[in-house]
Amino acid sequence: MTDFLKEADTAQNQEDFLNRIAKAANRPRHALADNPLEPVNELPETTLAGKSQDELLEIAKKNSEAVHVNFKVVKKADLGTTLDEFISEKDVNSLMLPSFAEEKWTDYSLNMWHQGLAIDPVYYWKPELGRENITNANKSDAAIGFADFLLAESGTITIATYPEQGRSFHFLPTHYLAIIPKSKILPRSRQAMDYYEKEIQAGNLATSNINFITGPSNSGDIEMVLIVGVHGPLDMEYVVVEDM
Amino acid sequence: MGIATSNKPFDERVKEAEADNFMRASVAKSQDAQFDKRTAARRELGNWEGWRDLSAQIRQHTIKYLPDYLEEFSDNVKKNGGHVFFAKDDKEASGFIKELAIKKHAKNVVKSKSMVTTEIDLDKTLLSIPGLALMETDLAEFILQEDNWDEPTHIVFPTLHKNRDQIQKVFQKIGYTGDNVPEHMAKFVRQYLRNYFMKADFGITGCNFAVANNGMINLVTNEGNADLTMAIPKTQVVVMGMERIVPSLKEAETLDNILSRSAVGQKLTSYCSFSSAKKVGEADGPDDFYVVIVDNGRSKMLNSEFEPMLQCIRCGSCLNVCPVYRQIGGKGYGSIYPGPMGDVLSPILGGYQQFRDLPYACSLCAACTETCPVKIPLHDLIRKHRYVEMDQLHLDHSMTNALLKTVGKGTASPALFADAMRGAHIGLKTFGKKTTEKDIKNLFPEGKVNHLPAIAPKLVHGWVDVRDLAVAPKYRENFRHWYKKNQQLTEEEQKND
Amino acid sequence: MHLPRMHVYMKVCIFSTCIVDLLYPNVGKATVELLQRFGCETVVPSKQICCGQPTFNSGYDRESMATFKNQIDALLSIDADYIVGPSGSCVAMLHEYKDIFKDDPEYAEKAQVLYDKSYELTEFIYRVLGILDCGAELDDTATFHRSCHMTRLLGERTAPFVLLDHVKGLKMIPLHNIQLCCGFGGTFSAKEPLLSRAMVDDKADNVLKTKAHILIACEQSCLMNIGGRINRRQEGEHIKIMHIAEVLNHNVDPSRITYVKDTDHVMVPANGNGVF
Repeated sequence: MTDFLKEADTAQNQEDFLNRIAKAANRPRHALADNPLEPVNELPETTLAGKSQDELLEIAKKNSEAVHVNFKVVKKADLGTTLDEFISEKDVNSLMLPSFAEEKWTDYSLNMWHQGLAIDPVYYWKPELGRENITNANKSDAAIGFADFLLAESGTITIATYPEQGRSFHFLPTHYLAIIPKSKILPRSRQAMDYYEKEIQAGNLATSNINFITGPSNSGDIEMVLIVGVHGPLDMEYVVVEDM
Repeated sequence: MGIATSNKPFDERVKEAEADNFMRASVAKSQDAQFDKRTAARRELGNWEGWRDLSAQIRQHTIKYLPDYLEEFSDNVKKNGGHVFFAKDDKEASGFIKELAIKKHAKNVVKSKSMVTTEIDLDKTLLSIPGLALMETDLAEFILQEDNWDEPTHIVFPTLHKNRDQIQKVFQKIGYTGDNVPEHMAKFVRQYLRNYFMKADFGITGCNFAVANNGMINLVTNEGNADLTMAIPKTQVVVMGMERIVPSLKEAETLDNILSRSAVGQKLTSYCSFSSAKKVGEADGPDDFYVVIVDNGRSKMLNSEFEPMLQCIRCGSCLNVCPVYRQIGGKGYGSIYPGPMGDVLSPILGGYQQFRDLPYACSLCAACTETCPVKIPLHDLIRKHRYVEMDQLHLDHSMTNALLKTVGKGTASPALFADAMRGAHIGLKTFGKKTTEKDIKNLFPEGKVNHLPAIAPKLVHGWVDVRDLAVAPKYRENFRHWYKKNQQLTEEEQKND
Repeated sequence: MHLPRMHVYMKVCIFSTCIVDLLYPNVGKATVELLQRFGCETVVPSKQICCGQPTFNSGYDRESMATFKNQIDALLSIDADYIVGPSGSCVAMLHEYKDIFKDDPEYAEKAQVLYDKSYELTEFIYRVLGILDCGAELDDTATFHRSCHMTRLLGERTAPFVLLDHVKGLKMIPLHNIQLCCGFGGTFSAKEPLLSRAMVDDKADNVLKTKAHILIACEQSCLMNIGGRINRRQEGEHIKIMHIAEVLNHNVDPSRITYVKDTDHVMVPANGNGVF
């Protein structure tokens, strides 16, 4: 038996392959530096540009609701009450929360709220728990998390993976709620991507994973009938904090 | 499964497809629904032609500098702590993954939907490992798996040929007791597969786009199974066709928008994810992250007239507009890549011997070329396959071949064509019948041919088997004669004016 | 017959197409009469034969070259201002010569000239002559089959609809799934009769569902296919097949001929924009 495993990551495996396809293409290698991509237009940037934050909020609301998201706009002072309503509406008996530093909760005026939760258990996604977080997420009726941005055009929330708020945090719990400051509403995916691209290339953001999530999981695999809620959350709520 | 899904002759597959009324109704319904959704989604975006130009440019550029981008991507995957294996064919790709699964003592493998893993026959290879269980977790792929590995019939909607009752029966075999409501069946699968996910130790995904400048892979999905496959198992293997690469996150973002709108008429699918090996401090995601970059015949397209096919982003919209796919569904093609993109791709990846009929299963209507979001001239590439088959490989030795060569001569020689015009009336009249008042008006003024003796060549028979043919006008009454007479009259008129 | 000569003088080479030459003189006649009425001097070069699609689209590229060259030479043998044919598909093929001969020292330039001069009939009437109303009258109901090559390869998706809209008395009924191919596809119809039948049956069903009395197209080949199939199904008794040239040439009152007021916006060549 050939030992393919030994070939992984070797210069020979890579060079043989790349030289072979360069030869097939009849083009020299390492010609890219002098010929970078220069986009023929700026549609990703100009589409939906020039809207005020109020306009973006309206567009975001319409497009989020179109993808079956329960969309709420609240003042910071009412955020805790809104989360309590969600917990009682969804009959949440086990809750998953991120383990961001206390300042973040305070920023959202949620420090008292999360310390005083009457639910048991409340699981915090903590890096030191390792893969136990996955089991906890699976046991949680709901997750309440913080999104980085909300995209008006598509009703999408974007979230990088952080040690305090991991990947399966967003996928395993049955119900899901994301909190987004109004100031973090962007026109489209391009502006969010510009941010991630810049932060990653500058070494400011060390993340292994970025999720663009547009409404609850769904499928059209059976007779192309839309089924909402497959492997990921069955439903989804976005709460935009107006005065942030 | 490999590329071929069937070894039956093409004609037989077409007949079977034609007899499958459910399938045909279901494909037609889905095409019509997708037409509305796709059109609305593209129109809403605005300046669709501009988006196509940009998307095509991104794809052409990355294909042009493919070795450079693959090198950059590979370096960055390794920088992130991942591993890369370059596989020149299906044997190397599935062989590598098999060795890895054995080394990692994989017991519970989860897969998310990926065409390239079907192409390299990965499932069967892995299931040959004793004690290994494997689960396709995409709803449609799961249905196919549980239905004794039935063949997929669409690259985006693999189970388009099954109805809810057939699917209910499949699930009953694994303990489902509910009704045939899609939502109820999906809930059952969610729980069934969730249990499996929680013990999964080895995850396999495909790759929509690989991001060269940071080593991330981009997956565009709706169900959430791909993200669970990337979050839970300690080992993740990404299998990607070598052309599936973009310079940076920005181009991935542009193409995700275009792919979502084209494939399913959504602005973005529920999950567009960009992912690599777990970083220090993170709690989930793969400790071991492998990318297998697969050629498997793709390099044959480089520097050939078929190179534009490497631009393909597998959105399936060419299937959704194809009038032939509408009639025979995926099974008619006998390839995991059906429809127009399959007509082009299958003979290249799977060989002309196996797929020689596919380029002819096309009326060259160009609906595919018109809809393609990355501007692949699909109908033209299909025609180029015909050229390769006839002019280069000489695959046709039938009467049709001889006849078409005669047509070639006849349409190049004014003298021969004059003979044809002279003989057309008498020739057709021999087999013709008189037109009656029951006949359609203005199509058969000189009579119709609706039956031919069996010895007539297929090229004529094929027409008359299906439709009536007009008897040609009498030689003295054809257009050229009329024109000469008319021209003389006109000249006289002018003189009189 | 004395028809008013229009103010423009143009010499137009008629690209008759092999189907018209062999089977349908009525389409050729209507084409010539229309153009003469609009003041064009017409010429029909006798050595023209066929655009070459039967062999080219079947994969016989080498065998097609002589056909292409004969067609180029024949159509350019007369120094006409324009070359006009009653088929979007055949004219689109003439346009393709430009790419096919781009590296040919002898024919590259000729193919470019051919490309610049050639138009499909309704495209020519609407975009070059600037005519909105041909003065025709036809008191009936009709539906229109859109040809794939005319729409997608030639990029003309407007002209026939505008001209039909102005035919007096004609009520147009929309054809469901107009974007789907009728299953003709040249040699495809004979080489793959099963596939072609399934496709043309769908098209025939949709045509019959309109209950229109007339089926119109810019493409006699598609009409042969759809009409021929409807007749085989013995459902054609109340249906008439008309090429658009025959419709626009029907019962004409020349005093009603109307030109587009501002021709600038139609003079641009058609293209494939606005496609989904």
